[in-house]
Amino acid sequence: MAGIIRTEGLRKVYAVGKERVVALNNISIEVEKGEFCCIVGQSGSGKSTLLNQLAGLEKPTRGKVIIGGHELSAMNENELARFRQAHLGFIFQSYNLLPTMTAAENVALPLMFKGVDKRTRIRRARQELKTMGLLGRAGHLPTEMSGGQQQRVGIARAFVTRPKIIFADEPTGNLDSATSKQVLHRMLTLSKEEGITFVMVTHEPSLAACADRIITILDGKVQSDVVQAEDVKQKARDALMADSKTDTPAEPVAARPAAAPA
Amino acid sequence: MKISDLAALSLRNLGRRKGRTALTVVGIVLGTCLIVVLISLGIAQNQNYDKMLSEWGDLTQIQIWGGSSYTVMMNGNVVTENQPAQLNDEGIAAICALDHVVAATPQYNPYSLNGRIYAGKGDRYETNIYNIYGLYPEAMEPMGFTLQSGEWLSDDASYGKKVIPVLVGPYAGYNFEDTRRSYDSPKRYRWQGQTDANGNELPPFVDIEKDTLTLTLQSYEDENGNVKSKSWELKVVGVMNEDTAKGWWTQSGFVMRLKDLRMLEEEYRELTGDKSEARTNYDEVYVKVDDMDNVDAVTEALNDMGFTDTYSISDQREQMQAQVARNQMMLGGIAAISLLVAALNIANTMTMAIYERTREIGIMKVLGCELGTIRGQFLFESGTLGFLGGVIGCTIGLGISALLNHLTDILMWVQQTFGQNIDLYAILGDSAYYMGEDNILSVVPWWLLALALAFATVIGLVFGVIPANRAVKISALEAIRHD
Repeated sequence: MAGIIRTEGLRKVYAVGKERVVALNNISIEVEKGEFCCIVGQSGSGKSTLLNQLAGLEKPTRGKVIIGGHELSAMNENELARFRQAHLGFIFQSYNLLPTMTAAENVALPLMFKGVDKRTRIRRARQELKTMGLLGRAGHLPTEMSGGQQQRVGIARAFVTRPKIIFADEPTGNLDSATSKQVLHRMLTLSKEEGITFVMVTHEPSLAACADRIITILDGKVQSDVVQAEDVKQKARDALMADSKTDTPAEPVAARPAAAPA
Repeated sequence: MKISDLAALSLRNLGRRKGRTALTVVGIVLGTCLIVVLISLGIAQNQNYDKMLSEWGDLTQIQIWGGSSYTVMMNGNVVTENQPAQLNDEGIAAICALDHVVAATPQYNPYSLNGRIYAGKGDRYETNIYNIYGLYPEAMEPMGFTLQSGEWLSDDASYGKKVIPVLVGPYAGYNFEDTRRSYDSPKRYRWQGQTDANGNELPPFVDIEKDTLTLTLQSYEDENGNVKSKSWELKVVGVMNEDTAKGWWTQSGFVMRLKDLRMLEEEYRELTGDKSEARTNYDEVYVKVDDMDNVDAVTEALNDMGFTDTYSISDQREQMQAQVARNQMMLGGIAAISLLVAALNIANTMTMAIYERTREIGIMKVLGCELGTIRGQFLFESGTLGFLGGVIGCTIGLGISALLNHLTDILMWVQQTFGQNIDLYAILGDSAYYMGEDNILSVVPWWLLALALAFATVIGLVFGVIPANRAVKISALEAIRHD
């Protein structure tokens, strides 16, 4: 069975001044449907570039990216936008919430692009925030929330459209380790519950250890592509779960009554 | 994405930078306001000209001359040329059939007739008949003539044998002279406004509506000293209102049905034994057009028919309007420049907004926002700036217009309230002579508001295009990469 994400001889070359920097060189990988996949590597290894290629944010210099049978590299920008709207979700390292919108409005944003009417999308956004334990923050602006809370809003925004694939670029990079574990736990649980394929870039080995598949990038090449054994990843996940449970909640108790209709 | 969401998002973005939005709008307000006020001045001037012209004569009337052959000198030779078209009954019927022509009639004056109108006991009072005019009776009302009393003449009605129905001007009675007085005596004449020693107004000799009037045609003496004559009774069926713009004869003239006048001419030819061919052409024909704006078209149609010798006040109106249009062009140009500056301001504001929101645009793109939505959002913002400025500008323009139209009142109020002596004439110039409501300096028709509003909005949109395209070209990745 062909994977939901597939690359064929992917190559990306940047021109830095007069020099040409090869960021990705002949990458051919495959991610199965429903897999939780981590891309790891040192700074400058090309792991973020790979993620951007997989998500269709950048055109490859050579090679193909195929998602669910659609070749991203052959699409124009509007087709890509519609494809992202329909099938992809994103979580960013720096959260990237729109500063003028409340948490609920931020979560509802992808639904707005899809043309969902305001009542429905705000209701669904509040449900998503509830899952994230953030219903009390629905009416807050990003500046009124902690980093961990903002990132959970970001996660809710990625999950609200129930995409086929979610891409996350170092989602825990700006968070302390306890919050990181909580956030990863949420992402892992949700994607398993919803059967969503999850591709995450990270440089923290303890987080990567929980993944189904670990792809290691070094100097723009695939150094290793490992599908972890069931017992190994289960051990790492149990440890993660235990850690995130002992942590105190990073947010106060909901300040607002839950108004969202079920 | 829904249009309503796009609009809401754009408005929210404008609201984020209230100060900058307000400043940008102020520029447009200024430009729109200038356009409305400056153009309204020209419109008012045109209206005042029209009012003035309509006092000179009927604006929707065309006068046609000629119809008979005339002689010109050409290269030393005498050439007799015929008018291209004949100004006779058939010609007038053809004119009446033209589009936009309401009515047409000659105002025919029988200067070849010799005769008198008598009234009073023993025909004591008499007048000449140079004041008689023949018109198509059915054309009079459409031409804009009005009656003070009585009724219109009718070609179909019968008034009795040897009776000719006439309409008279309100002062027709003053035509009559007392034949018992000598020509040198002032008592032979009466005129309008004449008073006796006690200051009482003197009535004319003849009460034109009550006294019996007799029209007598007479031939000149033949070699035997004989004079042939024939008489008709004139029956006054109505009194016209005086309207010198339509013809001075509405003051004190006599109007007959054209066919009666023709009959009189025929009778006179018999009396005098004139065997020459009867004249069928008219010297002057008046054509009434349904609307001022169609006068030119009808004039052109008349020229095409061969009636080349025409005149209408609209000829003068055109010159005046051309002058106003020149002024308006200049003033409008100034206003347009200020609006252009404001538009550059919009472009600048939008470019700034895009720099500020680069990251947001990137995020939106990554989250699946289509390019059209991004472009639409920025165009909506710039269009809103223009529209908002347009609305406020139009409102202020209306206010200034009202202020201008009541300038005399306001200045007089200031004078009375504060006891200041203001030289109205120094401030207002000639217009101070027309006080009160007649002093209309500025007219703002609804189309001017609509046009100014549309112009401001379109300018906003047009000058938002380049910034909007710039926003569309922002690379999503570049925008979100740097923290």
